[in-house]
Amino acid sequence: MILVNYLAAAALLCTGLYVLLTRRNLIKIVMGLSLMEASTYLFMVSLAYRAGSTAPVLVSPPAGKTARQLAHGNVADPVLQNFCLTAIVIGVAVTAVFLAVAVRIAQHYRTLDADRVRAMRG
Amino acid sequence: MTATKGIDHARALDQAAAREATEREPLHRPWAGLLLVGGVAVALGVAMAQIPREHAPLSQVARYALAVALPQWGLTEPVNEVVYGTRGFDTFGETFLLLAAVVSVILITRSREPRHGYFGEESAGAREQAETDPAASSDAAEEEARSAERREQGGGPAAPRTPDATPLGTPAPETAETMTVVVRTAIRIALPILAVAGLYLVIWGYSPGGGFPGGAVLLGVLLLAYAGYGRRKISRVVRPGLLETIELAGAAAIIMTELLGLLLKGSFSANWLPLAAQQTPLSGGISQLFSGSELIEVGTGLAIAVFALLGMGHDWARDSGDDSGSGGSGEDGQ
Repeated sequence: MILVNYLAAAALLCTGLYVLLTRRNLIKIVMGLSLMEASTYLFMVSLAYRAGSTAPVLVSPPAGKTARQLAHGNVADPVLQNFCLTAIVIGVAVTAVFLAVAVRIAQHYRTLDADRVRAMRG
Repeated sequence: MTATKGIDHARALDQAAAREATEREPLHRPWAGLLLVGGVAVALGVAMAQIPREHAPLSQVARYALAVALPQWGLTEPVNEVVYGTRGFDTFGETFLLLAAVVSVILITRSREPRHGYFGEESAGAREQAETDPAASSDAAEEEARSAERREQGGGPAAPRTPDATPLGTPAPETAETMTVVVRTAIRIALPILAVAGLYLVIWGYSPGGGFPGGAVLLGVLLLAYAGYGRRKISRVVRPGLLETIELAGAAAIIMTELLGLLLKGSFSANWLPLAAQQTPLSGGISQLFSGSELIEVGTGLAIAVFALLGMGHDWARDSGDDSGSGGSGEDGQ
């Protein structure tokens, strides 16, 4: 059933891509980009999921399991969770840069419409 | 006279709002976009159907990380072990990507700086000034044009007819510096708790947490203080000189932590600190050091980026030949 999560992530990515390609408002374009980023978070966390697994913490294993058993099997994938953490930070950084550029464009051209930002103005 | 004008203006605004509500937002090549997105969707769907699902065994990398987390790093939290240990190099690169983004934001949002040096425009242009003395020629037409220009420019900014007619981007004092006493009291209670929670996430590194979420929480502390108390209260902490220095100190600490592994243990980001007892704040060797430096780096980096974005308000280009105020510029952005 985790396939539903995968497909939801794909749908989210396609929504973001459509917004990115067809909208003309720069803020909405940045929002589309954020949607695409969010879809990767969903995808990677879903990919880390294992049926009947616990969180990858070796502190107090559930009843009937030792930490060593956990280390050899039934936990969610910590590497993909690490990827997700990385992706969130990169996403924040990229969004910050794009928003800064959008504000500068708005201040310089007096518009947020991407189709009207073509003309070079000194 | 002014009353009817005001009513006219309000009616025009109402009409504009109604038109905006019914108007469809213009799209940029929707059909080409739809085609491309459809192709991507099909490719992704096919790929998603074939990747491992919830019953697949863990990957080799994940098994390795789980196996070495306790014996080699003394960490009971494999995610932290992956972030700061096994895949430390990845995190290292990511840290400097964040730093690069922060530097870009600083460069893009930097406002015009106050003058620091002497350029000597006046003495350099003195000869030309003397050759075309503005006071010498007193043509009647030019005199009139000049006085009209002075009238237009001088006298300070006239108050707009209605508040709605204020041009966008005019430098103006903030209207409300702080929030109400209720909000400020709530923030005063929540702030220390939030700050302690952020530090807890980092210091107790053997449980889920780490420098990235901790840094984000510390940014939340700053933003709460800013929202509740206004810019002036946090200006002693949030100033570029201080934050940028701390940020670079954090980056330097990360480089040192990783490089010492290369020097002392022969491999980049290897653990060179003795392992403390499990489930204590010091367990995990360099991963705790890395995590703490990451807290500094992420917290100050995000703070710099957010406050740089917030501070770029009053730097608008001049309206070209349009002095009707709220026209044009407001509606262009949709």
